[in-house]
Formats: sequence, structure tokens, C-alpha cells
Amino acid sequence: MKETTTAPGWLLVQRVAAIAILLGLWSLLIASGTMPSMLPGVIQIFSGIGEALTSSIFWAALSRTLLTALAGWAIASIIGVLFGLIIGSIKFLDRSTSILIDFGRSFPVLALMPVVIMLLGSNARMEIVVVSLSCLWPVLVQTIYGARRQEAAVADTVAVFKIPALLRFRRVLLPSALPFVATGVRISASIALLVAVGVEVISQAPGIGRQITLMQQAQRWDLAFAYLIFTGLVGWCLAVALQQVENRLLIWKRQEND
Amino acid sequence: MTMQLQADAQPEAGTQLMKVRGMSMSYGFGASENKILEDLNLDVASGEFISIVGPSGVGKTTLLRCLSGLLRPKAGTIEVSGTVISGPHPDLAVVFQDYSRSLMPWMTTRDNVAFPLQGKGMGKVERNRVADENLAAVGLEGQGDKFPWEMSGGMQQRVAIARALAYNAKVLLMDEPFASVDAQTRFDLEDLVIKLKQELGVTILLVTHDIDEALYLADKVVVIAEKPATVVDEIITGFGEDRDQLATKADPRFADARARIMHRLRKD
Ligand SMILES: Nc1ncnc2c1ncn2[C@@H]1O[C@H](COP(=O)(O)OP(=O)(O)OP(=O)(O)O)[C@@H](O)[C@H]1O
Ligand SMILES: [Mg+2]
Repeated sequence: MKETTTAPGWLLVQRVAAIAILLGLWSLLIASGTMPSMLPGVIQIFSGIGEALTSSIFWAALSRTLLTALAGWAIASIIGVLFGLIIGSIKFLDRSTSILIDFGRSFPVLALMPVVIMLLGSNARMEIVVVSLSCLWPVLVQTIYGARRQEAAVADTVAVFKIPALLRFRRVLLPSALPFVATGVRISASIALLVAVGVEVISQAPGIGRQITLMQQAQRWDLAFAYLIFTGLVGWCLAVALQQVENRLLIWKRQEND
Repeated sequence: MTMQLQADAQPEAGTQLMKVRGMSMSYGFGASENKILEDLNLDVASGEFISIVGPSGVGKTTLLRCLSGLLRPKAGTIEVSGTVISGPHPDLAVVFQDYSRSLMPWMTTRDNVAFPLQGKGMGKVERNRVADENLAAVGLEGQGDKFPWEMSGGMQQRVAIARALAYNAKVLLMDEPFASVDAQTRFDLEDLVIKLKQELGVTILLVTHDIDEALYLADKVVVIAEKPATVVDEIITGFGEDRDQLATKADPRFADARARIMHRLRKD
């Protein structure tokens, strides 16, 4: 990967400037009066975020949403990695399941929601199921890619030294697929939060999504936007944290590519 | 010391370790069948250093993969320690032509060397000790915490050799192990392998296209040629234990053997 030659200080200035310009444009747009009047201005949103940060209802809703998203994501990751490694490393399984998997990944899981709600009700369990189903495919597909790309020399080594299957799975297959697995896991982390909020908006299961709807219904547009933006921020922090973990785990990969 | 441990574990010199009879190998079937090896016979006795020399593309890697049990020959038998093998055998360890790729970049060199021992069920403390001893034996003392990609090609090759040694096999199979390092490193590694063979008593079967290397290292040179390939000549080098990059290669017997092999290879 090529690093940019820009000094880190300068880069920060550029990024802050980009955000400032965006906020400025937003303010201009509001001031110009072309947008519907309910759209809150920058200052209102910031004060809304301030209000949210001191509201226990907001924190309860946010942690609830984060927990369900996390649970669904974790379940999907474990199942996706396990099955992905098995499918990707066994040629005949890989070939025979490829149509099923291509179909599954393009299946609109959100459209299944009415059925899932009917079966499980508007609760956290239902939400976890929908989140897992949505997160499963990126992890599964990426892991299969990773497991397919086994170095021939590594496979020969494993065979010559008669490495037992379980040990091979844990210390050869998993690490060699890890660069791909990590991408899938990272993608599905953002999907998890997105879907969790979406499910709450649609099904009115308790959580931040439901709070956003309630605020809209109460005409508190500033708060609705504040919740929305703050949730986005949390999602972004998660993505950054995951990227850090990934970078640490995959030092060998970057070194090798140099 | 490892040296002592290993030497004790090896069978008495001269015991027959491998016996290859009528081995043939081809890729593909029917009309597109590509015959690579035909009716190959080979005997390997304990404590021997055998070089198999043949031109590029003759089927050396194919031969070594068959001997190591990675490929099933189309005909013939391979016996290791008295039993016919049908797959990799614990008495055989391999140092691959593509050594840098055969080391796992996500493991430290110590873990790379210890990994096959973990596969044998050896405990962590024990296998790390054996790994460190074998790393020391190949001149990588105290480098166990480094990753393969932090090392030069020559050092990576030493790690691959240490891994094969630690496995405590009776026969080391090596596929052009020094083909992709510079000349000086190559001489160092050749001398290292000779030293290991003498001190540890391991039996080595090395495949190369380099006639000088084959002669310098081996007690017996087996020449393979033709298509499909078969054994066309066998030469006992008779240089004894003491080898020196300058003196041995200046020996008149070296020049004679060299001329004989070149002649054999040119004729085909
Ligand atoms: N997996 C395979 N499938 C089909 N043909 C193969 C395969 N591997 C090797 N061959 C063919 O077999 C022949 C011998 O190959 P091999 O790699 O054994 O030769 P080699 O003597 O090791 O060559 P080199 O000196 O390049 O290492 C070549 O013609 C090659 O094209
Ligand atoms: Mg070869």
C-alpha cells in the first residue's frame, strides 16, 4: 500500500477544513430557505447532541442498539469464518455451494423482516437474527476467498510434516485467510449497526432507531438528527478501532508485500 | 546437545533406508499423457549423501515429490524403513525448492521450526527447546523471535533446514535448496549441510541441476536424463569426509567425474 507523502499535521488541517466546509454549506442551505423548515441547522444539531449526551434514555437506547448489533455481528462472524474456512478449503464443497452462496449474498434480508417479526416478535431476539443474517454473507464470502488462496508450498509443507487437521485449521488455514476474513468482518461491523438501527425504525423494537422515530413524531427534528449523527459517529469509531486491530494482527502481511 | 541426541536417534550407517523399484510417473491421461519418469530404481543407505543431478525440466521436482509421498507414482514402489509408502512418512522430511513460500509468514522462525513437532503432539516447552537447538545448529542462534520476512534468503533457507532437522526424520529430501541464493551464500549453505550430515549422521538426498554442487556434496551422484527420465549413470565420488570448496573442486577426480557427467548429459 502506498502512503501519502503529506505530513500528518497538514492532513489533519485538510480533514477538519473539509468538515467545516460541509457544515458551512449546510448552514447556507438552511439560511437560503430552499429546504423544508423542519430541517435543523448546524447549531441546533450540536445543541441536540449536547442534550442527548445528558439524557439517560438516549444512552439506554444507544447501548441497547449497540449490544444487539454486536451480538448479531459476533454470531455472524463466528459462523461465517467457520463455514467459510471449511467450504473454501475443500474443493468439492466450494464448487457445489458456490451457486447457493452467490444467491444468498444477493438476497434482500430486510425484506424477510415481516416473516421474522411474525415468527419472533418485535424484540431483541428478532433484531439479532436479522442483523446476523445480513452480516453473515460478507464474512462468509470473504472467508471462502481467503481459504481458497492457499499457497501450494504451504499445503505441501502441511502434508509432508503430517500436520493434523485441527491444528492445520487453527494455525495455517485461519491465519493465511485472515487478511480476507478481516475485510469481511470489518465490512459487516458497519452493516450490523446500520441494520440494527433500520430494524428498530421499521419494527419499533426498542433501541436508538425507535427513539429517532419517536423524536420525529414529536416534531423534535433537532434531536432526531442529533441521534442519527451521533450513532454514525459511534459506528465510525468502531470501524477505526477494528482497522487498528486488523493492522496489528496483519503486520506480517504488509511486511511480506513490501 | 541436539547433536548428540540426533546422532543417537539415527540408524547405524549402511542400513538400507529407502528402496525405489520400477517407479514411473506421468501427468495427464490417455492421449495427453506426459511421461516424466520411467522405471527408476534407487537405493539409499543410512548416513549416505546422494545427489541426483539432471538438466532443468527433466523431472527432478516430480521425482522428489514422489519420493516424499506428495505424489503417487503411476507404477513401481517406494519403500521407507522397510514398508511401502502411500503418502508422507514420518521418516522423511523435505526442504522445498520454494523454501521462502514454504515458511509461514505469520509464525516466528521458532514457531515455524516447532510447528511439525506440535503436530507430533510434543509439549510447548519441549518443542521450543528443540526448535532453538536446531536453529543454533544451522547458525541462527538466538534468532527464534524473528519472522521469516525479516531474514535474508540464505537465512530463510537455514530455517527450512532447521525445521526438517527438528522433525528428526531419518532422510532429508532437498529440492534445489540453494538455487536462488547468491554464490557466497550458496557455498556457506553447502558447507553447512556437509557439516550437519557429518555431525548429526542424517541421510541426505539432494536434487540439483548443478553438476559441481552435486559432486561437491555427495558420496554418490545419480544422473538422470532422457525423456521420460531414468537413471543413466551413478558415480561414487570418494572424496571422503573432508571437503573444501577450493581443494575438493581442484581434485583431478572431480574434473574427471564432472567431464563424465557432462558427457552423459550432452549425449542425451
Ligand atoms: N502438476 C503438473 N502437471 C502437469 N505437468 C507438470 C506438472 N508439474 C510438472 N510438470 C511437467 O513435468 C516436467 C518436469 O517438471 P519438474 O518440475 O519435475 O522438473 P524439474 O527438473 O524439477 O525442473 P526445474 O529444474 O525447473 O526445477 C515439466 O515438463 C513440467 O512441465
Ligand atoms: Mg524443480
